[in-house]
Amino acid sequence: MVALQDVSLGLEEGVFAAVTGASGSGKSTLLNLLGGLDTPTSGTIEVRGRKISEMSREELSLYRRSGVGMIFQSFNLIPGFSALENVALPLMFAGVTKRERRNRAGEVLAQVGLGARIAHRPSELSGGEQQRVAIARALVNRPRVLLADEPTGNLDSRTSREIVTLLAVLNRDQGLTVVMVTHEESLAREFAGRGVRLSDGKVQAEERWR
Amino acid sequence: MRVRDHFELSFANLWKRKLRTFLTAFGVTIGIGALVSMVSFGKGIQKNVTESFRSLDLFNSLTVFSEDFFMGERFDPDRRPAEAPPSGASRALLDDAALEKIAALKGVDTVFPDVRIPAIVRFNGKDEFRLVQVIPAKVASSRMLRFSAGKGYASDEEGSLIVADSLLRQFGVSEPLASLGKKMVISSIGFDFSRLNPVDLTAALVGERLPFTTEDTELTIVGVAESQAFAGPIPVQSDVFIPPGVSKRMKKLPFSNIWDIFRAREGRLGYSALNVRLSSPAFVEPVKKEVTGMGLRVFALADQFKEVQRGFLIMNMVLAAVGMIAIVVASLGIVNTMVMSILERYSEIGIMKAVGASDRDIGRIFFFESSVIGFIGGVFGFALGWAVSVIINRVVNYFLAKQGVPYFPYFSFPVWLALGAIAFSVAVSLAAGVYPAMRAARVDPVRALRHD
Repeated sequence: MVALQDVSLGLEEGVFAAVTGASGSGKSTLLNLLGGLDTPTSGTIEVRGRKISEMSREELSLYRRSGVGMIFQSFNLIPGFSALENVALPLMFAGVTKRERRNRAGEVLAQVGLGARIAHRPSELSGGEQQRVAIARALVNRPRVLLADEPTGNLDSRTSREIVTLLAVLNRDQGLTVVMVTHEESLAREFAGRGVRLSDGKVQAEERWR
Repeated sequence: MRVRDHFELSFANLWKRKLRTFLTAFGVTIGIGALVSMVSFGKGIQKNVTESFRSLDLFNSLTVFSEDFFMGERFDPDRRPAEAPPSGASRALLDDAALEKIAALKGVDTVFPDVRIPAIVRFNGKDEFRLVQVIPAKVASSRMLRFSAGKGYASDEEGSLIVADSLLRQFGVSEPLASLGKKMVISSIGFDFSRLNPVDLTAALVGERLPFTTEDTELTIVGVAESQAFAGPIPVQSDVFIPPGVSKRMKKLPFSNIWDIFRAREGRLGYSALNVRLSSPAFVEPVKKEVTGMGLRVFALADQFKEVQRGFLIMNMVLAAVGMIAIVVASLGIVNTMVMSILERYSEIGIMKAVGASDRDIGRIFFFESSVIGFIGGVFGFALGWAVSVIINRVVNYFLAKQGVPYFPYFSFPVWLALGAIAFSVAVSLAAGVYPAMRAARVDPVRALRHD
């Protein structure tokens, strides 16, 4: 099965891009390719000058560790870990000491507005809080690119707005490149600068919203 | 990933699934426990046998026989009598002349005939049937006998005896010192020629009165020897020793074993065997050569011991193989646990990969977990093996002590066994972790993250 075909897309650094499209249009595959979780059968993917389509498995893991951060619709937090431990996890694979991990994870959690809930397990947090933990985890290794796969899919509209606002703030204040897959086009139009619509694995439209 | 993080993560993961970890590690514990007790049993027996051989000077010993120890095929009942027996004339007689000749050889310390008299030993109101061994005073006072009380008799004529403490225990005496100076009765069996008249023989044939007579000799206990005391290389344990002078005066059968009867039939009654002590094991070969040259047969325990050692090696390997079976089963348990764990933690593996864990990191997480199981299993397995052997050793010795068998440590726990057991357990667990680790490392993060 081919998820994406003949996709030629360029996004400039520091952009907040929204990828929309019906389910099965290849949005998630595009994001997994950008995040180094998946590899293309053919073609080239380049992120900030690094050809990730040519990386070995080992290089891809390094890229995922510090080149990009990813958040997901289902948050994908480890249930047995506290918020702090979840955020500190990528640092563990980077070989950072435990004390340093805790310090940095605490800082990032404070940055996403969860400084008071660091000891809670995911099950003790609301959906919005869990997504904030996931965002903190994605940012803890200070990547320049944040990939969000339906980050608001499991959230109510008020919380959705909060999360997308947070992404927009990170994009504006830190110059973080954000690529967000969503099917809430109205919300996307409100915050994102660029829109990419996919249909049946092809780019249907590419728009500049602001 | 840091090694410390690997350890903390594996302990945390194993702790989260306590029961399963416990059961898996318990499987390893049983396997290692079985291996440890098996090996320590083999090593214990080997160590004790070797040490007692050495301490009893058995490597310095030779036994000289006048002819084939097992009498060869001449007495094979399946042979037809028409076959002519080999001429006995060429065989040297094991008499006093031969004894003197052997005693004069270089390196020979002591030579004395192997004489054992079947007798009833009476003490403390109890009877025991024993082969009473005759040993010269010189030998009785040598280091071939170890005394727990008293000492050897001073002369070959003294009316004294030496008894092993194991026999005393059978007589119900627990304190060897207390029996020193007391009288013990040796009731030897003699042949009553006066009863060889037709009337008595008829009675003998109907089983009423055999033409045997018994004679009691009262001897003073001067020494109590430790059990497993000198018995000569012939594997019969003696526990009563008397001087030759006393033996000569005792009424006894002219033979102590069936071979003596055969020898007597040929009209050549020498000693059944001579016990030879050498001043050093180095003389075993030269003396053996000399004595064989005299037309006598020599049995050296040192030669046999090489075979014994090979036997021990085989025994240890068999015991270890039995222990291995349990370990193989336990390692399958580890594989099962780890594979189960991968399935349960499938999405967790995906998450870890998504945030930057390499294949190697993931593989190592599972490797560490199985080696921690192995380590725990190894430590407790050694403890279990040790505990089981201590218990078995106690129980066995308790029952054997009642039968007068001296304390014998049946198990040996060298340091290498403890370290080896743990190292082996970890090694087996690592091997068991290879497949799960590889499988975990290969997990596709995209699929794992979709998995919910």
